[in-house]
Amino acid sequence: MEIYTKAAWIIPLLPLAAFLLLTALGRSYRRAGVLIGTAGALAAFLLSLLVLIGRLGETAVDYSKAFDWITIGDYTLRIGFEVTNLTSMMLVVVTLVSLLVNIYSAGYMKSDERITVFYGYVSLFTFSMLGLVLSDNLLSLYIFWELVGVCSFLLVGFWYARPAAKAAAKKAFIVTRIGDAGLLVAILLLFWYMPDHRLEFTMIQSVFDGPSGAITTELSTLIALLIFLGAVGKSGQFPLHVWLPDAMEGPTPISALIHAATMVAAGVFLIARTYDIFLDSAAAMQTVAYIGGFTAIFAATIALAQNDIKRILAYSTVSQLGYMMMALGLGSLTGGIFHLFTHAFFKALLFLGAGSIIHAVHTQNIQEMGGLGSKMRVTAWTFGIGALALSGIPPLSGFWSKDLILSVALQENKLLFIVGVAAAFCTALYMARLFFLVFMGKPRSSLGGAHESPSVMTIPLMVLAALAVVAGFVETPWNGALGSWLSGGIAEEAHSSGIAIIASIAVGVLGIYLGWLIYVKGSVSRSIVSDKAPWLVMLLERKYFIDECYERILVKPLKGLGTLLMALDSYVIGGAVRLVSAAADSAGKAAVRLQNGQVQTYGIAALLGLVVIVLAIVGRRFWS
Amino acid sequence: MHEADSFVPLTWADMLHLAPELSLSALFIMIVLLDLVLPKRVNRIWIGGWLTLGSLLISLGFVIWQLLDRNSGGNAAAETIQLLANSYRIDDFGSLLKIVFLAGASLIVLLAIGSTKDDDAITDRAEYFYLLLPAVVGAMAMASSGNLISLYIGLELLSITSYILVGMRKKSSKSAEAAFKYLVTGGISSAFILFGMSYLYGVTGSVDLGGIGAAIPGAIADFKALLYVGFFFILAGFGLKIATAPFHAWAPDVYQGAPTPVAAFLAVVSKGAALAAVFRIMYNTAFFAATDLDAYISKDVFFAMLVLAAAGMLTGTTAALRQKQVKRLLALSGVANAGYLLVPIGLSITVVHSSNFAEFIYYLIAYLFMTVGAFAVLTAVNRTAGEGEMKDFAGMYYRAPWTAAAMVVLLLSLAGLPISGGFFGKLFILIGAANAKAYWLVAIMVASSVISYYFYFGFIRQMFMRSGGEEEEIRVPAATGIAIWVCVAATLALGLFPGIVMEWIDGAFSLQVDLLVK
Repeated sequence: MEIYTKAAWIIPLLPLAAFLLLTALGRSYRRAGVLIGTAGALAAFLLSLLVLIGRLGETAVDYSKAFDWITIGDYTLRIGFEVTNLTSMMLVVVTLVSLLVNIYSAGYMKSDERITVFYGYVSLFTFSMLGLVLSDNLLSLYIFWELVGVCSFLLVGFWYARPAAKAAAKKAFIVTRIGDAGLLVAILLLFWYMPDHRLEFTMIQSVFDGPSGAITTELSTLIALLIFLGAVGKSGQFPLHVWLPDAMEGPTPISALIHAATMVAAGVFLIARTYDIFLDSAAAMQTVAYIGGFTAIFAATIALAQNDIKRILAYSTVSQLGYMMMALGLGSLTGGIFHLFTHAFFKALLFLGAGSIIHAVHTQNIQEMGGLGSKMRVTAWTFGIGALALSGIPPLSGFWSKDLILSVALQENKLLFIVGVAAAFCTALYMARLFFLVFMGKPRSSLGGAHESPSVMTIPLMVLAALAVVAGFVETPWNGALGSWLSGGIAEEAHSSGIAIIASIAVGVLGIYLGWLIYVKGSVSRSIVSDKAPWLVMLLERKYFIDECYERILVKPLKGLGTLLMALDSYVIGGAVRLVSAAADSAGKAAVRLQNGQVQTYGIAALLGLVVIVLAIVGRRFWS
Repeated sequence: MHEADSFVPLTWADMLHLAPELSLSALFIMIVLLDLVLPKRVNRIWIGGWLTLGSLLISLGFVIWQLLDRNSGGNAAAETIQLLANSYRIDDFGSLLKIVFLAGASLIVLLAIGSTKDDDAITDRAEYFYLLLPAVVGAMAMASSGNLISLYIGLELLSITSYILVGMRKKSSKSAEAAFKYLVTGGISSAFILFGMSYLYGVTGSVDLGGIGAAIPGAIADFKALLYVGFFFILAGFGLKIATAPFHAWAPDVYQGAPTPVAAFLAVVSKGAALAAVFRIMYNTAFFAATDLDAYISKDVFFAMLVLAAAGMLTGTTAALRQKQVKRLLALSGVANAGYLLVPIGLSITVVHSSNFAEFIYYLIAYLFMTVGAFAVLTAVNRTAGEGEMKDFAGMYYRAPWTAAAMVVLLLSLAGLPISGGFFGKLFILIGAANAKAYWLVAIMVASSVISYYFYFGFIRQMFMRSGGEEEEIRVPAATGIAIWVCVAATLALGLFPGIVMEWIDGAFSLQVDLLVK
């Protein structure tokens, strides 16, 4: 089985090959495009699965391989890959979701003119994400980190004819860049302070693990916070979460792949990879925990008041990523990664289900839907499973992972426990609202033509639904299999807590029940809140006015500054450049004048040149 | 003659050491005879082109075999083979350069095969190819020679065949004019070189490079001025061959008139051979460690090379700014690149910086591929629009997308941008110059690179942003296509794995054994 681990570097190359092939083929090969993209993802998935199976034994050793890329002076830049239990798990998650999204898109994007381009981008994204996962050092991770950002940009703006999609793509790219700048500075700091300028994760681990004294605590706090800034940008944490809901302008399969299951989880993955730096600094851990907890409740409340089905799910993603960050900040690597693992499946399921609904009814507004349950049975059932998993109803996967996080919070920080429980309540409520408004009630006449999606779209839903049911059993309160596997045999402290389980189940059920009362039975008026506190609904609908604040506080002054700088650029710097280019130009004219076509001129020029050089160089010796 | 060496005639075993040169010469004679004997109806591109290519590859095989044989087992300091009283040497310096010359000539033959059919001005199709063989033998002799006589013979063998090659387009008056100009300039160059060599011989009483180097420190006190004359005339003579400023004025005219493959040959093989000769001569004769004040004759000679390098870089790039004719532009680009290549030679070897040869050969290899590649793309473009103007590239992206992509790689390399061989070549030279604390030179290198972006990106602008009107697709002949893609692949490989090549050269090359003639 070792052989598959050693061959893990092939995995990212398969989708890359698919991408290159698709780009070379051009747009006319529509069917072949789908097949090539899917085949690339399938091959990558099978190989990843073999790698994972090979590592399931107790004794799997981390494997890394690197070669010298560039040697400059004493410094050698090495690139390579590393397979650990964490990376092998991520490989399977990424390739599996990618494969299902590839299959699903064959139906969803069927009539799109640029479907081959779409598959090309998806393959490129899969390659970049796998490269990110397999990177053995921070520098190559950063390269792939930017590459997934580029793919996200391309895919969010895939329908570039829509102004909203263009704006969203730009926003996603720019906002995440703010976080990336932090990550870059962190890498530069590490490069500067690490012994031998080594950036490998294994080296980072050994330097920060234990009191080596190479790097002070203050410095590790700074580095950890800068890395966290990168994660905040990529994983849509407050206050850089604003791009993620807008990114829903991209095709829905993309939302499932990039903005729910894989890329947005890269921030969590990054922290998990550099966890030793965070462990070195209590302040950084607390920051991560509080930002995560705040994001969890903050985004969950916004989701309560949204009407666009994809935006609800997007805020839900932000909120769930907050849970993961909170778990990491509270010291539970297992909790964060476990929730990443389960969330990848049920959130991808929910997005693909939403795609199936949008495909049928051609609207994203849940207020305009209703009664779809009878028309789209598979979608309704699978979506229901996903919603229950997200709401944390046992025995579905979301329950186990959320319960683990809440148990940890109960032990470590009571405030965050309460926040987590409150966010769980909101989660159950907004999912109930979403589900009941879309699938229950009377069918709208305007949606008369709605029918179930083709099986190429429903089969991925069923696969994901099955996973959403069973994925949670890898780690239960009485069996810490995932935790001990991830940490290489050292079981994390068990966090089973009766209070947490009861609280978690109670708020889940309560949330759904309240949703049922409001949106199905009608015994609680829908407008009860908006009548009593219209400002609150307004606040939530407008997403706490964060976007408006940014516009006022950041964008406008920055634009002003930009105008000023542009003036400086065009007059001062541009003037200098024009001066230089004019000088070069006139030098060129002089050189051309020599070129008069007369060979005797050339001879004289050569002779004169020799004389001048001799006089200048030798003369100073003889007559000085 | 150096006292220590008595003349020993060649033995049969020595023939094996000379296999690359001898095989090339023998095959040359065979192809000449075939050309004379075979009836007219036999395609001359076959006899001339493919047989010439085969000969070059056979010789290349011999050189590579020699090189690997000498460096097997990590023995960097293998004994140098000295033939004919040390006038001819088989060492890693020579072998690496021979590989460059043979590989370059092979690619040039490929693109000549692809382009000759369309050139009606060439009458002697077979000669056009096989005359490259003696020229390459001359270049190889220059890289391998250990004394002034064999070096000069190699130089003349290369030069005289080049004069003929430039005039190959007999029906074109431009070609005749170019050949005449090249002949006159080449004559001046040879005269300069011979004059300088005669002074060195007069002062030291030896033609052996090692002998001259050994005798100079003793002769400085009495013959300072004569030594200056000797060195500077040699430098000026080779300066003409290398085409660095202010000795470059002939290059644009000659490149423009010559058949494109021959222009590529002048740009790569001729220039490389002359640079190799400068490298060998100057490090053996002008590079000596005298402790007294007289050492500044050595410093001055090396400084003069840096001045020529700087002049070449600045003149080449600024003159190219206003150039619209592609071959002239590539000639001026060659002037600038000659400047870059002179930098590692002129920096001299110091305690902190001794990887001059590795830097030189790395950039020479990168230069070979990007220049031949660019000339190859030019021949493909000229098939449809014969003027050779920059505007012929207009809309190339739409007329030949793959070739346009290849050209982009080559241009990035010429401009010195990553990820290409040209980038790392320039970077290594730049780091070398910075290590040697020649910061003024670093500044000039950077400035001239930045200026050069303007005209290299002029091509990209033409290819991608101008429409070519209703012009038809560009069809690239198979042979030219192979040449282009080999160049592109090599350029990318040099850009992706620079470490491997540099380490190997650094490991194989030893200053004492491979460069200095003892």
